[in-house]
Order: sequence, then C-alpha cells, then structure tokens
Amino acid sequence: MPKVVTLALKEVKLSVRDVGAMVTMLVTPLVLTMAIAAAFGTGTGGLSNVPLLVLNQDDGQMSRFVWEALTAQNVEDLLAAEMVYDEADARARVEGDAAAALVIIPRGFSDRVVPVVGRVREVLGIDLLSLDAESAEALPEEVQEEIGRLVLESREPDADAVVVEIYASPNWRISAGVVRGIVTQVLEQMSMTAQGTTIIIEELIARGAPGPEAGEGGAEWFPGVADGGFESLADRELPVRVEIVSPTGRGFRWLDYSATSMAILFLMFAVTAGGRTLLAERQAGTLSRLLVSPTPAVAILAGKMGGIVVTGLMQVLVLWGATTLVGSYWGAPLGVVAAIVVLVLCASGVGALISAWAQDVGQAGTIGTAVTLVGSAVSGTFFPRWNLPAWVQNLSLATPNAWGIEIFSALQMGRGLDGILPLLGGALGLTILYYVVALIGFRRQFA
Amino acid sequence: MSLVEARNLVKRYTADGPKAVDNVSFEIRDGEIFSLLGPNGAGKTTTISMLSTLIRPTAGTALVNGYDIRTEPMAVRRSIGVVPQDLALYGKLSGRENLRFWGEMRGLGGPALWEEIDEKLALMDLTDRAGDRAETYSGGMKRRLNLAIGMLGNPPLMMLDEPTVGIDPQSRRHILDYVRELNRAGAGTLYTTHYMEEAQELSDRIGIIDRGTLIALGTLQELTQMVGEHEMLRLQLYQPEAGQALVDGVRGLEGMHQASAADGEVVLSVAAVETTLPQVLTKAADLGLSIRNVEIREPNLETVFLHLTGRALRD
Ligand SMILES: Nc1ncnc2c1ncn2[C@@H]1O[C@H](COP(=O)(O)OP(=O)(O)OP(=O)(O)O)[C@@H](O)[C@H]1O
Ligand SMILES: [Mg+2]
Repeated sequence: MPKVVTLALKEVKLSVRDVGAMVTMLVTPLVLTMAIAAAFGTGTGGLSNVPLLVLNQDDGQMSRFVWEALTAQNVEDLLAAEMVYDEADARARVEGDAAAALVIIPRGFSDRVVPVVGRVREVLGIDLLSLDAESAEALPEEVQEEIGRLVLESREPDADAVVVEIYASPNWRISAGVVRGIVTQVLEQMSMTAQGTTIIIEELIARGAPGPEAGEGGAEWFPGVADGGFESLADRELPVRVEIVSPTGRGFRWLDYSATSMAILFLMFAVTAGGRTLLAERQAGTLSRLLVSPTPAVAILAGKMGGIVVTGLMQVLVLWGATTLVGSYWGAPLGVVAAIVVLVLCASGVGALISAWAQDVGQAGTIGTAVTLVGSAVSGTFFPRWNLPAWVQNLSLATPNAWGIEIFSALQMGRGLDGILPLLGGALGLTILYYVVALIGFRRQFA
Repeated sequence: MSLVEARNLVKRYTADGPKAVDNVSFEIRDGEIFSLLGPNGAGKTTTISMLSTLIRPTAGTALVNGYDIRTEPMAVRRSIGVVPQDLALYGKLSGRENLRFWGEMRGLGGPALWEEIDEKLALMDLTDRAGDRAETYSGGMKRRLNLAIGMLGNPPLMMLDEPTVGIDPQSRRHILDYVRELNRAGAGTLYTTHYMEEAQELSDRIGIIDRGTLIALGTLQELTQMVGEHEMLRLQLYQPEAGQALVDGVRGLEGMHQASAADGEVVLSVAAVETTLPQVLTKAADLGLSIRNVEIREPNLETVFLHLTGRALRD
C-alpha cells in the first residue's frame, strides 16, 4: 500500500475513534438541522408583521375572499397586509425590501375561479353565490332554465389558467412561502364554494326543472346533466395557479438552506480540527518519528490532508443522507456530489493554512474556531446570505462557507451540474490559493 | 566500515544562539554499543537528531552506515531504527495497529511484517494487550511499545534516546536486557542516557558529553583510569541545604581533588580516603553539620564526570 494511503487511513481511523470529533462532525449538525426543521417546518416560526402588499386587478367578487384571508384574525399578527393600486410602485417597494411580497390578483380572477357565477351575474343580474336551494326554487322557471344553460356553457374547460403572482423579495424568503400557503388555502376554500354552487344548481334540476322526458326546454340542457356535466364542474380543479416570482427567480426553503450551510459550518470545524492534528503530532513527537522514517515530507503532508479530505467527505455525505431523511433538499445528486467534493477540498485548504502558520495546537484551535465562526457568520450561515450588505457578501467569498452557500442555493433552485460549474471553478481557485499559502508556511516551518 | 562517523558536528538552534552541540566527533564501530552519557541539556538528543537526519547540523557532518547525513538522508533513514526520548505513539491506535502503521512507514509490509509484529509483541511482553489502545497502557508498557516500533525491520544501527526514562525497575530491566540481546544478534547501538549505571552496564565504549562538548571518550576502563588514584566520597547531611557550605569549607584540604553539592548530597573526589575523610568530618563538625551517611566508592563514571567537570552528573 502506498505510504500516502497508509497515512490517510491512519488519519481517518484516528478521527473516527475520537468521540469529541464525531460529536462535532455529525451529532451537532444533525441535532441543529432537526431543531431548525422543527422550528420552521410549519413555515411560520419566528415571523410577525410581515409587510405584504395586495394589488387587486380583479373586477369580480371572488378576489375579496383572498383579501379577507390575508387580513383574517388568525394571521393578524403574522401579516401586515396593505391594499395597493400602483403595480410599478408596489414592485419597487418589494425590490427595495420595504415589503416582503406583493400578491397580484389578476384581471378575470373571479370569472375563472367560478366562471358560471360571473356569467349568471352578467346575463341575469343574479348573484348565484347568495342563492340557497329554496330561493333558487322560487325563481321563475325561465330564469332557472337560463341558469342551467349558462352553467352548461361555462363548463367548457378554459385553455389557460390565471396566475396569482406572489412577487417576493429574496430577502424575505420564508415569508413568501407563508403567503403562498395562505393564498393557496383561500383558493381551496373557493373551490369548495364552486362546488357548493354546483350542488345548488343540481338541486334546481332535481326538484323543478324539466327532465329530458318533460319537454323541449329541458332537453336543451339536461343531456349535460346526464353526461355528468355538473359533476365535472364540481371536480374541476380551479383554473388558478399561484406562483412565487422573485427578482432573482429563486425558490427558497429555510430547511434546505440551513441543512447545507450547517453542514459546511461543521465541515469547517472538522477540517480545522484535522489540520490541528499536524501540530498535535509535532508536539507529541509522532511527526518527528514520521520524519525520520524513510518517508518524504511531502507524502506525510499529502497523507495528512488526504485523510482530512476523506473524513470530510464521509461527514458531509452522512449529513446529506440524514438531513434528506428529515425533509431537506440539497439539489440534483450529480451536482451535489461534485459540490461536496469541491467544498471539502476547499475547506481542507483552510485546515492546511491554519496548521501551516499557527505556532502550536492551542493557537491553531483558537484560530480555527474563530475562522470557522466568523467565516460562517459573514457568509450567511445563520440567516439568509442575501440579507447581508453587498460588500460583506463579496468579502465573504474568501471563505468556503460563502461558496458553499452559493453553490447549494443554485442547486436547490434547480440548477444542475453544468449550471454550477463557474461556482465550482471559483471555489477550486480559492482552494489553490489556500494551499499555495499553506505550502509557503510549511516550507518555513519544516525547512 | 564503522556504523557512525561523526565529524565536528555543530548545532546552533538559532543563528546567534549558543551551540547545543559543539564540535562533536566520534565513531561507532560495527556491532558496538556506544553510549552518550551526559546530564540534562548536554546535547544528547540534539546529536541523535542530527545523526537521524531530523535536523541539519550547523556545521560538520557524519556518515551513518556509510551514508552522508547531509546529502543522503533517505538512505540514512532506511538504515537506522530510532527510538525517540519522548514517546511517539498514537494513543487511539492499539499496540498492534501502531506497530503495523510504523512498520508500513518503514516500507515493510505483508506476511513478513505481521510475523515480525507478533514476535516484537512477545519480546516486549505486550501480546496480551496488543489489541488495546495504546492510551490505556501503563508508562512502562508505552516505553516498551515505543522501543518495539524503533526496532521494526531489525536495522543494523539503532539509536535509542534515553529509552528508560521515568519507568519502573522491571520495565527498565526488560529494556536493558533487550538492548543487549539485540546487540548479540549483531545490531550496533547508539544509546544515550544520564544514568551512569546504564552506561556502565551496557556499553562497549562511552562518550561523556557536557554542555555540547564531548569531554571524554573510551571504554569504561579507559575512562576510570583518567581519574587516576582518586576515590569518591559521597556524604549525606542532616542539613541538605548546607551542602554548598561544606563544599566551600573542604575545598582547600590536602588531597581534595574535586568537591560538589547536589540533591542534598556532597560528592568529593579525593586522593586517599583514609587521610581526607577525618578532616572532612572535623570540618563538618566545625560548621555545626551532622552527617547522616558516608559512602566510599571505587572510581566510576560519576567520579570521572566529577573529575572532568567539577560537577556531579545529576545537576
Ligand atoms: N528545538 C530547540 N530549540 C532551541 N534550543 C534547543 C532545542 N532543543 C534543544 N535545545 C537546547 O539545546 C541544548 C541541548 O539540548 P538536548 O535536548 O540535546 O539535550 P539532552 O542531552 O538531550 O538533554 P535531556 O537529558 O534533558 O534530554 C539545551 O540547552 C536545549 O535547551
Ligand atoms: Mg534528550
């Protein structure tokens, strides 16, 4: 077996047997991710008074249900909804982070949601939604017939659905998810209303309207009933979609974001601890013993770093598997694997750098912890990266954490391996830089 | 061919610092046990570190098994076994795993290595605990494992740097016996120690090193002859702190060659015990000191050291 491999295996064995290291590497990040999953699993944890704009372009009545839902008592503390009328101004407010999101209820919304209601109102001036079985029966027969005709007409499926757009600021990503949840809920309720309307009409038919054998007037529309036309109306999905759109076009889930950023944070802890073992070996005398064995110093270093990389890979792979089990999404597998390899290499460079320049184990420990925590904070591990001022975001690109968050965010919003190649290249460039500076330090120390 | 030929070795750890080793030259012949005897800080480890290519000499060089330590370090490393003064083991690996790892670092492997590991474990009386992590071993067991690692591959030259420091008499006996056994099997040994008994018992030849300088070199007999007719007196006082006062008091006495005080003991090198001892006792009485114990010694390495440096080996 080549000596480098022997050295690397020894490294892995030592870190696996170190209880403290295992806790840092696996247990802590898993517990933290679980805690975050628990806190944000419902999507509302930790939020209040999220500023929300509502632009109503609909001329029907159904849109008012959306507004009512967004201002209802149960979400009163959560959302601070405001009705707006100027779309451009509203979008600008979202882009400037003055509001978390803008909900745009489009023209024709009501007609699409419950098409027959709009038609009936238009043609007969009757509000179907306010009818119940009794009052419907009381309507003149020709009106009932006319309603039946309109129902049949409007059951033709519409080609395209209307889109309720949620224009969300990337810096308020959790909020966007919450707003979408509420809007979707409203639409579901409307779906029920639509079904209710259908049932009323069905009842009209059953009680008073002429059947197929009863004469001409009925014959015109009754076949539709026989074909199950009303049922199909009732079962029909609402022709309305909710889409979250944001200025950068990304989707976001805090659970995904924190699973990957936590993994990188604890990878950093592990690799800086790994780098520290070089200094520990110098203090313990095993490094001297290695140096007087017929093994080139380069092989000793390569074995050390190789062991750290293998340990780091195992760590992040385990975290990927485990956090996926609790529901987080890291991205397309091929891209994730490439990202993990590059990020572990990059992080190991930090470990090498510290062990090359620190004076002793104690100093390396202090520096390692400081670099890990500061690097994690400025790159946005504990809150969305995009909340940070631009200059901090740029500065933090000197850390593996920032590249990791950029890469995994790209993967999580659906990009594949080819979509993250430039980012991987950037991280590799940083890796090379780390190792070059580390080598200078090693030469200085072990010349 | 000699195993080691050290020529004017000098080591300064910093450019303007003192010489940790100053112009040291010696030879270790084939199959010989050569001891470097010297007190703490004498330069023993520094010398071994240069010979084993861990550090580069500031000046001078040495041939080890015929290879130059400056220009052929890899060949030197392949031809020696080093047992460092400080334990160099992985506590989280078992004894067997340590042996295997270090064996592979020496370029050994395969069934031959497994066999040798079993053999070394048995020899060092570690077979029972071979599967336990080294961190759970006693001090003596760790020392024995440390030694076994250095001997992997049975190199023609062993460098043992104070391999018996801080251990129980039993483990110490074990190690000394093993060094001798190795020597009988043909291995040359460079052995450093600050215990004169060890040097006396083991060595074919001894170099006495002090403050970086090799102050004497030869067989035990040759060295003790240097002292000539002198005998050594070792006195223990009831007032250990007054040792120096007594030394100052006896210095001018007739037949007094050297006097030194250390660890509450006064060590004197005298021409003739019969004439000098009574005077020393009188002097002690004058100073109001009472003597607890007097020991008279034949010339030995300690006498030699005292004779050469005016100090006891232990300070
Ligand atoms: N790495 C170092 N840097 C600076 N000075 C050193 C270093 N190592 C040793 N020295 C100095 O060199 C001198 C010789 O030290 P060395 O370790 O060789 O002595 P030694 O004979 O092995 O002592 P001991 O019996 O205590 O092991 C001492 O004065 C010591 O302080
Ligand atoms: Mg020493």
